[in-house]
Amino acid sequence: MKNKLTKEEVLHVAHLARIKIDEGEIEKYQIELEKLLNDVDKIKEVEGYDEEKMIAPWTKNTITREDKSGEMLNPKEVLKNAPRHSGNYIEVPIVISDGEEA
Amino acid sequence: MSNYIPTIGVEVHCELKTNTKIFSNSVNGYGQMANSLTNVIDLGYPGTLPTLNKEVINLAIKAALILNCKIRPKMHFDRKNYFYPDNPKNYQITQAETPIGYDGYVEIDIDGKKKKIEIEEMHIEEDTCKSTHRGTKTLLDFNRAGVPLIEIVTKPCMESGEEAKLYLEKLKELLFYSDVSDCKMEEGSMRADANVSIRKNISDPYGTKAEIKNIGSISNVKLSIEKEIERQAKLYDNGEIFLPQTRRFDDKLNDTVLMRVKETGNDYRYFPEPDIPYVYITEKQIAEVRKTIPMLPDERKEKYQSLGISEVNAKKLVQNRSLSDYLNEFLDEKIDFKTASNLLLGDISGYLNKNEQEIINTHLTKEKFIELTNNISDGTLTSKNIKEILDTVMESDKNIKEIIKETGIQNITDSSAITEMIKKIIKENPCSVADYKAGKDRAIKYLMGQIMKESKGSLNPKMAMDILLEELNK
Repeated sequence: MKNKLTKEEVLHVAHLARIKIDEGEIEKYQIELEKLLNDVDKIKEVEGYDEEKMIAPWTKNTITREDKSGEMLNPKEVLKNAPRHSGNYIEVPIVISDGEEA
Repeated sequence: MSNYIPTIGVEVHCELKTNTKIFSNSVNGYGQMANSLTNVIDLGYPGTLPTLNKEVINLAIKAALILNCKIRPKMHFDRKNYFYPDNPKNYQITQAETPIGYDGYVEIDIDGKKKKIEIEEMHIEEDTCKSTHRGTKTLLDFNRAGVPLIEIVTKPCMESGEEAKLYLEKLKELLFYSDVSDCKMEEGSMRADANVSIRKNISDPYGTKAEIKNIGSISNVKLSIEKEIERQAKLYDNGEIFLPQTRRFDDKLNDTVLMRVKETGNDYRYFPEPDIPYVYITEKQIAEVRKTIPMLPDERKEKYQSLGISEVNAKKLVQNRSLSDYLNEFLDEKIDFKTASNLLLGDISGYLNKNEQEIINTHLTKEKFIELTNNISDGTLTSKNIKEILDTVMESDKNIKEIIKETGIQNITDSSAITEMIKKIIKENPCSVADYKAGKDRAIKYLMGQIMKESKGSLNPKMAMDILLEELNK
């Protein structure tokens, strides 16, 4: 059986999922996540678990496409779904420091 | 700094030269209006599914072959999960578990010795959108989202910024020549990260690692590694302990600075991409791709030198791919390659640079180039003549014979006339002749100068030199 997750681990998982949780909720998630991990451990007990994993039910070669271009979206259409834009760029709050590029 | 042993590994992202993106049929292009090269797949609209571009696999096989990698016969893609505005799906499709290529190497020349830079693995992934940070905003352009990339990861096997620089130069040359990528670091189609750590003794475990991200040029890779080694050495010297970190090179500060990161280490929660079934690579497919690999730089240099071209010229030719490709058209011809290489790198390069032209767009046909080269080697044309007629050669459809006739070039090719002229010069310059006989090399240059002046540049210097030496040694 898995040990109960620490408070910090619960908060870390919440951060990765970008979910805000209250102090009062932490314990609830400690219990729920523990149950989940135990279930995963149970699956691992199945015979052949360590064999090569099957990533898709289709075991033949993936279908590929020719390197030919098709229809693209009009930039106006693209920007319609963005809360804010600046010229043709989609605008979001700053994520790194000024002048950096990623 | 000299008290520590640096350990360096390099990761390179290279955009593949395809027409379309990796999982969608929108155009793979650079420098277009922002957000004009996208479709619903690139933007991660709900319900869309990726379809793998065949050409991506072919180019990745090609890259794996030229980097001497082993190729995995069966592979799949994985999702790398993170929340960040550069990727609207909240995951990047990459290959974490089954990289297409592994255990390869690139050979570099360092301090006159060959060294194999070992490649740990090479995988395929999609590029993210380009984000530019200005003031309080981050601006997103999704034209880059879904552009196919290969990421090439070396083992921690380099020991200096110079080695990393040589490796990147070689890698760039190989990928560019094989048409895998256009490798333009200034446009971001080739990007490098460096992992740097130092330790006191070779028997010690590796030191704490710093990763320097997104370095914009090869020379800055070298510089940033050197700066980072210095920084870490200072910390160790002062007895300070530091944590692994991500930094970037700031070319204004000329130093590495700490960077905020997306997620770290194991937080990416990789799992297999269920939307793309297995990809199988057959020996037949590898053989087909192998056929498309053109003659690579090292092979070209070797070939050129075997044809009598100097090492310097061979190197220069390889640095200019269009000239090298042009010359390769003549490899089976019987021409004087030394003259041909001098012509290409000298007057022809000058013309092309001045007129901002590519050699294939000029009127210099194969026949004309051969005629021109032969005319120089047999003395019909002198270097002075070439300068006179080159514009016409490059811009008109006339053959060389016609051009010579029209320009009225009449060179002295009659050896008895040349001998007469040289005898006259020898008679007029007894001091120089005495100097030559006393072993002063400068004298011969002076005499040649006099001869060329007397002939107004209308004779072949090599022919004149031969006759001059013959007359002097009589």
